[in-house]
Amino acid sequence: MMLWILIAVLTAGAALAVLIPLRRPVEHASDRRADQAVYKEQLAAIDAELKRGLIDAEAAEAARTETARRLLAAAEAEKETTAVSSSRYRVRAAQLLAICFTPVAALGLYMVLGSPDLPDQPLAGRLNAPMENQSVDVLVAQVERHLADNPEDGQGWAVIAPVYMSMGQPLRSAQAYANALRLLGPNAEWFTELGEALTVANEGMITSDARSAFEQAVELDSAPVKPRFFLALALSQEGKAEAAAEAWTSLLDGADERAAWVPVARAELAKLRGEAPPSETGPAVEQPAGPTAEDVAAAGEMMPDEREVMIRSMVSGLAARIDQNGGSEAEWSQLIRSYMVLGDQGKAEATLKSAEEALANNPDALSGVRNTASKLGLTGS
Amino acid sequence: MVIEFGHFALVLAFILTLVQSVVPIWGALTGDTRLMATASPVAQAQFILVLVSFIVLTGAYLNSDFSVVNVWENSHSAKPLLYKFTGVWGNHEGSMLLWVLILVFFSALVGLFGGNLPADLRATTLSVQSWVTAGFVLFILATSNPFNRIPNPPIEGNDLNPILQDIGLAIHPPLLYVGYVGFSIVFSFAVAALILGRTDAAWARWVRPWTLLAWCFLTLGIAMGSYWAYYELGWGGWWFWDPVENASFMPWLAGTALLHSAIVMEKREALKVWTVLLAISTFSLSLLGAFLVRSGVLTSVHAFATDPARGVFILVLLCIFIGGSLALYAWRAPMLKQGGLFAPISREGGLVLNNLFLTAATAAVLVGTLYPLVLDALTGEKISVGEPFFNLTFGPLMVPLLMAVPFGPVLSWKRGDLLAATQRLYVALGLALLVVLFTFWLWGMERVLAPLGIGLAVWVMAGAVSEIVTRVKFFEIGLKRGFSRLAGLPGSAWGTAVAHFGVGVTVLGIVTATAFEYERIETMRAGDTVTVSDYQVTFDGAAPRRGPNYTEDVGHFTIRKGGVTVAELDPSKRFYTARQMPTTEAGIYTTGFSQVYLSLGESRGDGAMDVRVYFKPLITLIWIGCVIMAIGAVLSMADRRLRVGAPKPAAKRRRTSAVPAE
Amino acid sequence: MTRKQRRLTLIGSAGAVLAVALGLILFALSDQIVFFQSPTDITQNELPAGQRIRLGGLVEEGSVVRSDDAKVSFRVTDMENVIPVTYKGILPDLFREGQGIVTEGVVNANGVFVADTVLAKHDENYMPKEVTEALKDKGHWQGDEAAQ
Repeated sequence: MMLWILIAVLTAGAALAVLIPLRRPVEHASDRRADQAVYKEQLAAIDAELKRGLIDAEAAEAARTETARRLLAAAEAEKETTAVSSSRYRVRAAQLLAICFTPVAALGLYMVLGSPDLPDQPLAGRLNAPMENQSVDVLVAQVERHLADNPEDGQGWAVIAPVYMSMGQPLRSAQAYANALRLLGPNAEWFTELGEALTVANEGMITSDARSAFEQAVELDSAPVKPRFFLALALSQEGKAEAAAEAWTSLLDGADERAAWVPVARAELAKLRGEAPPSETGPAVEQPAGPTAEDVAAAGEMMPDEREVMIRSMVSGLAARIDQNGGSEAEWSQLIRSYMVLGDQGKAEATLKSAEEALANNPDALSGVRNTASKLGLTGS
Repeated sequence: MVIEFGHFALVLAFILTLVQSVVPIWGALTGDTRLMATASPVAQAQFILVLVSFIVLTGAYLNSDFSVVNVWENSHSAKPLLYKFTGVWGNHEGSMLLWVLILVFFSALVGLFGGNLPADLRATTLSVQSWVTAGFVLFILATSNPFNRIPNPPIEGNDLNPILQDIGLAIHPPLLYVGYVGFSIVFSFAVAALILGRTDAAWARWVRPWTLLAWCFLTLGIAMGSYWAYYELGWGGWWFWDPVENASFMPWLAGTALLHSAIVMEKREALKVWTVLLAISTFSLSLLGAFLVRSGVLTSVHAFATDPARGVFILVLLCIFIGGSLALYAWRAPMLKQGGLFAPISREGGLVLNNLFLTAATAAVLVGTLYPLVLDALTGEKISVGEPFFNLTFGPLMVPLLMAVPFGPVLSWKRGDLLAATQRLYVALGLALLVVLFTFWLWGMERVLAPLGIGLAVWVMAGAVSEIVTRVKFFEIGLKRGFSRLAGLPGSAWGTAVAHFGVGVTVLGIVTATAFEYERIETMRAGDTVTVSDYQVTFDGAAPRRGPNYTEDVGHFTIRKGGVTVAELDPSKRFYTARQMPTTEAGIYTTGFSQVYLSLGESRGDGAMDVRVYFKPLITLIWIGCVIMAIGAVLSMADRRLRVGAPKPAAKRRRTSAVPAE
Repeated sequence: MTRKQRRLTLIGSAGAVLAVALGLILFALSDQIVFFQSPTDITQNELPAGQRIRLGGLVEEGSVVRSDDAKVSFRVTDMENVIPVTYKGILPDLFREGQGIVTEGVVNANGVFVADTVLAKHDENYMPKEVTEALKDKGHWQGDEAAQ
């Protein structure tokens, strides 16, 4: 609305610039009088130069004659010019141009060219907008900005790493996991994710870097299947058929038959036994349990709003899960951290409050969450 | 909302130029004072509207509003504030908006300060200027709208071309455009004069300050651009005969010719036809330059991103304006009355000579610029016309012109005496000869051209000084009266002498910096020293550094003269991350008028770097001379006689009775 | 002098200056312009020794050898023929292997192109127009959008 008011004011101003001078006839000198003034001045200048001795009398006389002739001609021309007139019909036409043509043409053209519905979107405003209204790019950019200023913030790296992964940027994700590990110390889950990111980045080939990440993960915690799965896969890829078969067997031993990775492991194992020794290049990674290169490629091809859904499942999805299931200490801490890294202290504080309520009957967990919060500079009630 | 407001302001400005295109000139042709009176307020309204849209676009840059396509394409949130600001005109769309802003700025100036002009001339001139403005605003709205939007803007912009992220960009294009586009008002004056049939001495007088203003800015703009290329490109050169440089140089040459021929028209009413043609051609050459730069027909350091649609559009504008004005000229020029007579040896003759050489030089530059394009289009043969061509054609044409410069102002009007003129210049001539002999004695006969060039420069400078001295007749009337007469000299006389002196200074700089330059290209390791001229340049080592939106390798150098440290320089190689693009930052040490110039090349990995070391004697005189020329133009503009014209209406009656019967 | 004589003097001197200018331009055009050649052109046509030309093409991958004294040698290719080039001086910022460049200089007796100027534009996507067209002629051009 404000825009239309301003546009109306501006258009009115422009029309007035035409209308006001049209209002009444101006009294003004004949056009030829200006010429005469110039020639008179030239005559005076000739006299001045003569007085200074810059020209001799003869040249001055010649110049004076010439200029005087011009002056006379201008005076003659003035007599010839008809008296200034102003016709009603011409003025009406000009007024019509100002009143009708100007606003109609300007608005019409603007409606074709402009986008009156689009608000301004200065960057600072977009970054400070409430988080619900943010697009995924803004959220990521915010964390990136935060990390550019505080490259030593391990929590930040840990928050952004899975986001990069879901955005189809495994290399950046791996970098972020590596940073988190460097700054916050070993963590089995992060090592696993790091290895996986590197594997996806290499289109399914498990490089030595990735393998060492998985090995460290297993060393820290041998329970999860995922790193062991990748290690078995690595053995297959290296062509160590026996070791691989052994790894697959031990992995399948006591596994939950309904787990998604089990059929893949069985297939690998069958392949190893049936076709051993495998070819030099190793079997193609057809169905590893983690996201494959194709999955990641699919993530990359997702429409922006789909990706937005993905990142929301990171933050608000976590919040929703906590709301439903009560949430563990780790989940509450993670959510608070996420909000802090995204720069939304209000949300973080609110989350801390909810955690305090939800975990009121679990003092251990509560103190853990409070601990996290105080490290982030938040004070609970 | 603010952005859309700016967009609307531009659209409204376009509609006003359409109104302005019709109403005032209609008034002028029918003698209707009320219609003519709209010219000046509407011109100011146009200026305000375009200014609003320009400020809005600037605001979008400062706020990094990437919902504006133009901002997203050319800015980056991490860019330093100054370059967010200058980035507004560092791209095609923004620079076109600046172009239009200057067009309407000149309209508004004529509206404000054109009080001395006859109303019909002023009204018609502003209408013609509006035709030009309308064409360019339409061009912006149709093909290069800076206010196009993105509904879901990206979070980061593409950054400005790093080579344009320099303080030079803050100054160079606006100066250049004020000059370039300033000639549009001279063009409009010429077309208006042809339409109204008032090409006379008074017209020449009225156009003069506008020509001077445009010329002054164009001079500064070209000089600034040259200095910018000199230190930013890292090649050590100050003029490359690049087609885009030529595009700004041709209007300058034609504009210089125009300044001189307009004097003849003003004083003697001669050369009318020629002066009007020059006024038209000068702006036509500006338009041609715009076409060459923006259509993509030539590739150059300066060329903006190209788009065939834009090229065609500008070509159409070019044809309409140049073709239309020349057709009008062909129709009207034969009706012009013959002006005053003059002998070949006279002030007029000298100015004709000046015009001949300047237009011939313009033609040479034009041929050199267009020939490769034409040849490519006709035969597909690819050639490059570079420095040798221009040195061979432009150089020889400038020499006789420079030799003639000091004679011009001392010759009398109508019929001059060459011998008497030479006598007035004997001191300057003697001084020049002495300098030539001295330089030969100093450097021997190896370089024949350099001492002659220096002599020519001294001749032009001394000639300018002696012109003032003889005009005042210092030696005949004594110092005290001399000084009082010095102060009493009209601004235009001072302007001539100062501008001519500036020409001499520039020539001196060009000759010495070209002939006596030292250049060393070395692969240097930390601790290495090279010697250029009297200076020892030691490489102390290189280190990486981080800037706001770039990283750089900075080399540290110490410059010593006779063992004493005189300067420390830090030239660098920058790498702009957003555009993945390297640039070179030269290190320059200025001593007197000379400079030591360092630029870094490839890093060799083992700590060694390729380094280019120059000593450029008196090189700053090239640009100082240009500034002096511009000062000359300002002095000339200050001449109060330029403001004589239409008397104020109130004074009319008194004057009428007092018209002397001459 | 009569009016007619004055006019003739004026026209005569104007004609003289213009004739001189025209002569200079024509002479310079016949002598001072530099033709653009691709490596194939140079290989196929015998060039008079010492004639300045512009050589354009791609810098062959892996061909850049730097030696001391800021000297550099590399090979320029149009995917059919290859010309070795030597150059002493600072290379432009955007000189890279695989990048399109234009160099100016002369071919010496050994068939080596001795360049005194190397041009690569200050724009990441820049491909000199001449190089683009020469490569197009040879059918080795794919990235039309990239260069425009």
